[in-house]
Amino acid sequence: MRDTNMIRSGRLAIPLAAALAATALGAGTVMAQDELAYAGLDKDLSGVTIKMANIGGGNYEAMYDSISKFEEETGATVEIVFLGDGFEIDRYLKTNYAAGTVDFDVAWNHTSFMSQYTNFVEPLQDYFTAEELAAFSPSIIEAATIDGNLQLIPRHADISALYYRTDLFGDADLQAKFEEAYGYPLAPPTTLDQMYDMAEFFVGEGVIQFGTEFAGKEEAVAGRFYELLFANGGDYFDADLNPIFDSEAGIASATWMRDLYANGLVPLDTPNLVWDGVAANFCNGDVAFYLEWYGWYGYFQDPESCPNVAGKFDLTRGPVGMDPETHTGWAGAHAFSVAKDSQNKEAAVQLIKFLTSEAVAFEESNTFGFLPVRADVSADVEAANADTGTPLDAERWALANLQVSEDFRTPPLFADWISFTNDWYPTLQSIILGDMSVEDGLAKGVSDARDLLDSLGYY
Amino acid sequence: MTTQAARLGDPSRGPEEDSFLKRLRRKNWFPYLMTVPAVIVVVAVVVYPMAYSLFVSFTPFHLLRPDTTSQFVLEDMFNNYARLARDDVFWRALWNTILFMVVTVNASIVIGFGMAMMLARMTFAMGPVRVLLMIPMMFAPVLIGFQFAWFFNATVGLVNNALLTLGLISQPVAWLVDEPTGMMSLMLATIWMTVPVVSIVLLAGRLSLSEELYDAASVDGASVYQRMRHITLPQMRPFFVIVMVLLSLDIARAYDIVRIMTDGGPAHRTELIWTYAGQLAIRGSQFGMASAMSMAGVVLGVTFTFILFRQMMQLRKDMG
Repeated sequence: MRDTNMIRSGRLAIPLAAALAATALGAGTVMAQDELAYAGLDKDLSGVTIKMANIGGGNYEAMYDSISKFEEETGATVEIVFLGDGFEIDRYLKTNYAAGTVDFDVAWNHTSFMSQYTNFVEPLQDYFTAEELAAFSPSIIEAATIDGNLQLIPRHADISALYYRTDLFGDADLQAKFEEAYGYPLAPPTTLDQMYDMAEFFVGEGVIQFGTEFAGKEEAVAGRFYELLFANGGDYFDADLNPIFDSEAGIASATWMRDLYANGLVPLDTPNLVWDGVAANFCNGDVAFYLEWYGWYGYFQDPESCPNVAGKFDLTRGPVGMDPETHTGWAGAHAFSVAKDSQNKEAAVQLIKFLTSEAVAFEESNTFGFLPVRADVSADVEAANADTGTPLDAERWALANLQVSEDFRTPPLFADWISFTNDWYPTLQSIILGDMSVEDGLAKGVSDARDLLDSLGYY
Repeated sequence: MTTQAARLGDPSRGPEEDSFLKRLRRKNWFPYLMTVPAVIVVVAVVVYPMAYSLFVSFTPFHLLRPDTTSQFVLEDMFNNYARLARDDVFWRALWNTILFMVVTVNASIVIGFGMAMMLARMTFAMGPVRVLLMIPMMFAPVLIGFQFAWFFNATVGLVNNALLTLGLISQPVAWLVDEPTGMMSLMLATIWMTVPVVSIVLLAGRLSLSEELYDAASVDGASVYQRMRHITLPQMRPFFVIVMVLLSLDIARAYDIVRIMTDGGPAHRTELIWTYAGQLAIRGSQFGMASAMSMAGVVLGVTFTFILFRQMMQLRKDMG
C-alpha cells in the first residue's frame, strides 16, 4: 500500500520483479488447456450492456476476440466505445473523467498511468475474494492499492527486450567483416556501446535501412531514455522527487540517442514515431535490432502480418550501459479498472474477471506472447511451449523469466509521471535533433521538471 | 404612491429623470424580447465558457484534481500568466501562430485569386472544373492531415519517393521533422484546403464586375496589367476583405491538421498556440496554465479580427 503521491522509482521494481518472477516461474500444477478455468461467467447479465474504453493497435485489439464467449455465456452485450494506443486512450480517459462525461464501465489502466486516475476509478477490493486476488502478482496488487483502494486488476505484464534479426547476425560474411572492423565478434549486443557499433556497421554495409530505432515522442521516448538512464547507473529523481537526470548517466544516455539520430542510424522521422510506427519499421524488415515489448512478439512472428521478419528474429536480454550490472528493462503492467461513474459496476467486474481469468489469460499469452501476471497461467504457458518443437518459444519464456526476475523496472510511480514526461520529451527531442547541446538540454529538463513539480505542490 | 407622485410631477424629481421614465415606458420592447433566446444561447455557449476559462486561468486547476478548480488565491491569481511569460515555448508558439496565419492567409489569397482569374476566362467546362475545385473543401481537416502526413512521411512518403525516383534528391528528407520544412508542410496542407474557398468567393466577385468597364478600358488601350491594377483589384476589394476575415478566423483556430501531421513537434518546432494549449491541458493535465494560454490566443484572434473589421468598415465608408 502506498500514499497517492509517493515516489516508488526503483523500489517498486525489486519486489514487483521478484513477485513476477515467482509468478512466471511458478511451479503450480500444469493443467491441460481444456481444463483451464474461465471466470466471470456465473451471473446472468441478459439485457445488460457493458461499455469499454480500451487500448487498441497491434495485438491488443485481437485480445478482445474472447469477449464473444462472455456475451454468449452471460447474455450481456459488450460495446467498445473507444480503442486507441496508450497515449490516445490516456487522453480519452482523462478528458472524460475530468469532464464527468464517462460513457464506459470498464476502462484500460496501466501501472505507469494509474496514479492519475485514482479519483475516478472504483475501488475493486470488495468485488474480488482474497482467493481471486491471490492468483495475481502480489506486488502488482500491492502497488495498485493506493490509500487502501485497489485501482486495477492486471491483465499482463511487459518488459522491453532486444529484438534482433537472426538472418543478419547469423550471416558469416557480415560476421567476418564486423570482427575485422570492430575487433570483437558480431553477436546480439550486450552493451549500449555494442548496439551503437552494430547499428553503424549494418547501415554502413548497406544491408538494412536502419541499424536500430526508438519511439521518439511522448512517454515512449521519455521511458526509453529512462531505461538507458538506469542502465547507465542514473535515475530521473532521487527519493524526494528532486530531478537528478543531468548526471553523467544522463549525459551518456542522451548522447547515445543523439548520435544515433545524427548519424542516420535510426529512422529520419524518429521524433514523430510512437509504438505503432517503430513496430511497423521492424515488421517491414527495415531495422536490424531494437528494444521492444514482448507484446509485439506474436505480431512479428505472424507470416501474414510481417512476412519480412517472421521466423527471422529472436529476442535477447536488454544491454547494460555504464553500470555493468544493470540491464535495460523498462517494465509495467496493463490492466483493467471500473469507472467510478459506471452504472453497471457488478457487470463490469464480471467482465474483468472473465478477461483476466486463467483461460483467457492463457490464450492471450500463448497466442500473442504477452507475459502473464498469474502464477497458474505462467505454468500453463511454460508447459504448453516446452514440447512444441519451436525452441524460440521455449527460449523466449526462459528469457522472460530471467528479465522479469532481474531487470524489471517500472517508471517512477507518482501521480504526475505522465505530466512530467510530456513536459520533458520535447526537450529530449531538442537534444536528439541537435537543437540543444546535451548538457544544456539536460539542465533545462531538470530545471523545467523542478518548476513543474513545484507548481503541482510536490515540494 | 411613487407612480402617482411621478405622474403629478413630483418636484423632488428632476425633469431629466421624468423624461427618461417616459421614454422607457414608450419604448417598444418586443424586438428586444425576440432576441432573448439568441442571447441565452450566446451566453451559454460563448460567454459562460469564456468567463469560466478566464476564471480557471487564475487557478492552479489540474485536470485530474477537480478540487483545484476552486483554489483561487488572490495573490497567486497571475501565476499561470507569469509562468507563460517566462515560457520560451509559449513565445515560440505565438510567433509560429502569427507566421502560420500571415503566410497561409496571404498565400491562399494570391493562389486563389490567380485561379479565380483563370476560371473567369474559361469559356467551356466551367461547371465540372468548379466541382473539381471544390473537392478539397469536402475533406475533413483531419483527413487532409493524414493525407499530407503520408505525402511527407520520410520513409514511405509520396514526396520523397517521387523526388528520389526523379533523381532530384539523393537522400530522403524528413519533411515533417526538419526546419523549416515542418512548418512549410503544415502551411502547404492548410493552403491546399483553403484555396478552393478563396477561389470560389473571388470568382463570384470577378463575375459580378461589369464587363462594360473592361470594354471601355480596352477601347482606351489599357493593357492587361492596367486593367488588373485599375479595375479588377479596386473593384474586388470588398471580396478580398471578406475572404481575409473568413480565412483569418478559420486559420487562427488551426488545430486538426497540425495535430495530425506534427502535433506541434518535434521539439516544439511546429508548435502553435492551440497545440501547445492542448498539450498542456490534456496530456499535461495543467488546465489552469492551458486556459491562460487560450486567453492569449483569444486576444490574438480578437486583435486580428478587430483590425480586419476596421478595414472592412473603412472600405464601406470609402465605397459609400
